[in-house]
Amino acid sequence: MLRNALRCSVALRGALMSMPSKHMRLMTTAATTANTTEARPTIRKPIDEVARSHLVDFGKYCAEILPKYIEKVQITSGDELELLIIPEGVVPVLQFLKDHHTAQFVNLVDIAGMDVPSRPNRFEIIYNLLSLRYNSRIRVKTYTDELTPLDSANEVFKAANWYEREIWDMFGVYFSNHPDLRRILTDYGFEGHPFRKDFPLSGYVEVRYDDEKKRVVVEPLELAQEFRKFQLETPWEQFPNFRNTPGSSGSEEIPLDEKKEEEKK
Amino acid sequence: MASQVVKSTIVGTKVRPLLSTTKADARVRVLGLYKAWIRQATLIPIDYDVPKSEEQIKEKIRSEFLKHKHVTDIRIIDMLVIKGQMELRETASLFKHKGQIMSYWKETLEPKPTDFISKFMSGSP
Repeated sequence: MLRNALRCSVALRGALMSMPSKHMRLMTTAATTANTTEARPTIRKPIDEVARSHLVDFGKYCAEILPKYIEKVQITSGDELELLIIPEGVVPVLQFLKDHHTAQFVNLVDIAGMDVPSRPNRFEIIYNLLSLRYNSRIRVKTYTDELTPLDSANEVFKAANWYEREIWDMFGVYFSNHPDLRRILTDYGFEGHPFRKDFPLSGYVEVRYDDEKKRVVVEPLELAQEFRKFQLETPWEQFPNFRNTPGSSGSEEIPLDEKKEEEKK
Repeated sequence: MASQVVKSTIVGTKVRPLLSTTKADARVRVLGLYKAWIRQATLIPIDYDVPKSEEQIKEKIRSEFLKHKHVTDIRIIDMLVIKGQMELRETASLFKHKGQIMSYWKETLEPKPTDFISKFMSGSP
């Protein structure tokens, strides 16, 4: 009897405890008010102004040293430094970032590609670098088109070997002076470059086993793709509440000191 | 490499060359690739278990080259040569399968209907 009563009260307490949680707003996209500091690991920390000013200074410093190659310096999401360089400057800029004492970006994390068919130079090649010494990352962006070769970064970073093969395979950007440029992801005999925007999602061919021929045959694929539109931007805005919070509004250009360049001329 | 420039097919623009800077240069590269493929043709029936003779393979190589005979831009020729070289290497080092060699002939491909009745019978638009 007593035990039953206890169990009852425990159950009741449990029910009471769980009551308020039903009325809590579980998932919300509302921007948090400014004064509360979030400790959850999934919430992005507010931008550190000191670290940001260091990045701005370093970006300006790079542009001052390599004015021939660096076209633009920008900061994205509040704390990611990007150098926009001309295609001829890939090797010198990467060499500078690797070997300069105050940079020491000795780690090539990844080389990424981007295809924007509407641009005159449709491909953007992005080098992500990491400096273990200064716990810092930097992004170097350059551009090219289908037929213009880029210089291989293999002489600076050995890690570039396979990344450049991947870019060649997926986008068809040729890297001159690469020691071993060949396909890496697609099958032998595959035609086309799958990450180009004009490559259909279904591909051009299908592969099946033919019982008569006793081998795998490749045949052209015929699928109606009536609604193929090259929409490069997302049709909806993912986080409208965060439209004006700092660090979400695209890239922020760092104004370079143009006066100095004029004086030199 | 960066200092070299070639004329593009778009009049008045100068672009960075892929491999060759002159037409003669590109021609030499194409002929070199063709010779290398023809030499490989003797080995393909031995290396791969394909029901094709040496002559048929040579004929196929020739037609594959002639597919692009209208191309005049040096850089496009170079790009095709680069891709052809990569393909030759894949073939020579036995990376490919029998099926991938045979896919050049497209034997299983049924020709598309041209006249009205056969189009109607096959149900294609």
